[in-house]
Amino acid sequence: MMFSKSKKNKQKFIACTGNNKKYEFVNPKELSIKQGKENLPVEIIQDKQGFVYIVWKKKKYQVDVIEKNQNQYEIMVNGVSYPISIESPFSYKRRKYLAENVEESKVEKIHAPMPGKIVEFLVEENQVVKEGETLLILEAMKMQNEIISNIHGKINKINFQAEDNVMKDDILIEVER
Amino acid sequence: MKKIKSILIANRGEIAIRISETAKKMGIKTYGIKTPKEPGAYYLQFMDEIIDFTEAISDIPEFLDIDRIIYSIKEFNIDAVHPGYGYLAENPYFAQKCIDEKITFIGPSPDSIYKLGNKTIAKQLASRHNIPLLEGSDGNIKNTKHAKLLAQKIGYPVILKAASGGGGRGMRIVESEDSIEKMFRMAQNESEKAFADPSVFMEKYVRNPRHIEFQILADHHGNIIHLGERECSIQRKHQKLIEEAPSIALNDELREKMGESAINIARASNYRNAGTVEFLLDESGNFYFMEMNTRIQVEHPVTEMVTGLDLIEWQIRIAQEEKLTIKQKDVKIEGWAIECRINAEDVQSGFSPFLGTVEKISITNGKNCRFDTGVAEGSNVTSNFDSMLAKLICYGETREKAISNSLSALSKLQIQGIKTTIPFCKAVLNHPKFIKGDISTSFIVKDMKQLFHQEQDEEMIAAFWAALNYNVQLDIEDETYVDYEKGKNMTPWLMNKRLKSL
Repeated sequence: MMFSKSKKNKQKFIACTGNNKKYEFVNPKELSIKQGKENLPVEIIQDKQGFVYIVWKKKKYQVDVIEKNQNQYEIMVNGVSYPISIESPFSYKRRKYLAENVEESKVEKIHAPMPGKIVEFLVEENQVVKEGETLLILEAMKMQNEIISNIHGKINKINFQAEDNVMKDDILIEVER
Repeated sequence: MKKIKSILIANRGEIAIRISETAKKMGIKTYGIKTPKEPGAYYLQFMDEIIDFTEAISDIPEFLDIDRIIYSIKEFNIDAVHPGYGYLAENPYFAQKCIDEKITFIGPSPDSIYKLGNKTIAKQLASRHNIPLLEGSDGNIKNTKHAKLLAQKIGYPVILKAASGGGGRGMRIVESEDSIEKMFRMAQNESEKAFADPSVFMEKYVRNPRHIEFQILADHHGNIIHLGERECSIQRKHQKLIEEAPSIALNDELREKMGESAINIARASNYRNAGTVEFLLDESGNFYFMEMNTRIQVEHPVTEMVTGLDLIEWQIRIAQEEKLTIKQKDVKIEGWAIECRINAEDVQSGFSPFLGTVEKISITNGKNCRFDTGVAEGSNVTSNFDSMLAKLICYGETREKAISNSLSALSKLQIQGIKTTIPFCKAVLNHPKFIKGDISTSFIVKDMKQLFHQEQDEEMIAAFWAALNYNVQLDIEDETYVDYEKGKNMTPWLMNKRLKSL
């Protein structure tokens, strides 16, 4: 067990954000957030409609868990979402170690930024492309969008054909550095 | 005069509701169309009668199926049809069909729709009446070679536009000769797909222009007035996101000049009903006619707020051949109004469409605040329709007050289940350049560093909420912890109770 079961002990949680910022919380169930040396109380309220708010330092924040998968959360605060992973001090160290020792991938995957339909591919497999070059045209909500390469490289693989419908985050093209 | 007693609203979402409200006020019976794509839609609750189109009989989308709509109007003996915006609003064939079938089409004549809807013809009309125009191709571009030659003559940057287009589709800005061929092909392709017409024309592209448009009302008796301007410069990829009335860029003299041009265009095309004349305004105060929209616009409420008029009511009254009772000198612009479009789009990932269900929605309607929504709790957002869910329109005696009223209303507007453009609207309204009124159509690209608004501690609050949820989750998973409600969703009430019992 990564976390101590004893209620006497301090339970420390490290919350890592998408842009690699970290926040530490000791015993969050005590409903306070430390600022400097002071522990400032947190209040949780729910309104008639069921919206949940955190009140801290006299300010109200609407909060919602959009998605969770084990220790990975996507939290919405006032309409803006934040990907957050919760680590113990031990797992945080391991995560940091792994991140530092992973080789940079040679293949860049170009994902669909939105669901839509592919109008046409402007490149072929094995073709060399420049950074900023248009790879394909994706039609979504009746707008045609250019999907561009963010690296200089060679087209490794094209996963779809023109007229195909794609979902958000589908891998459209793989470009090799 | 032919009094309208019943209207078919050939549209959905917020505009269907908006039209029904005025119709109700005027004692007119409303008919709505129920489609298989959203049979439980919110707008249907506002209709007196519902016509069932849920059984698919052709591949044509329900709100574009002219024959089926006309047939239903005859079947239910309905007097008039209001097309709203989009769909059949600017289809001259539909307007003509209505005339042939003796149905009142609430909008201009098919001839005006056709002439003004075709940008090439509209520009020829404007140039004949000495209305300033941007230099461009006098007509459609024939081929890539023609495009290249023209662009050389006009000078880069140039913009390519679909002759039958609108709403930013089929538009391409070309910065240099390198990309003219590719862009021309793309514009043609997009235009063909969107409007079934590949015709494209070219224009000089003005950097950092403002989008200023004038609201027109014209009756069947030769009276034409304008109701002042709207500024719609806050656009992304030519899609308007925030609109206001009046515009900080106009003084009375310029307003009169532009208003007069707008009226001239309307007169030249023999225009009737409500319409909007769009201009580009450059940094030195020169204006250029862009196009005339022959329908009610999404952003019409800002004009209603500063003039005190009901534009839908005037559309209906004009359609029943009433005379305009307002003279130009009676039109008074008072105060300031701002409209924020609430779209189901994820601002944090390039405004990509966000699909799902509106789990909860809390709104604030107040004296200075109007919320025109097409969705309610439980509404589904699918890829079948446009991403606009609702519009928040706020009023203030001054621009500053309208901004602060908008911000306070936006902070009270909560939507759960769908990511929306609310954080984007907050970011714009908090931006020092917007507050100063220093805006242009390139504002979003040029001046905004972050496209969504964030308060100082919001990220930390998100981190805390995740940590707390995880902490509670661990306790539930802990086998030694006896929990009879295991597996149920954690509610704050439950959590609070648990926390207290610890």
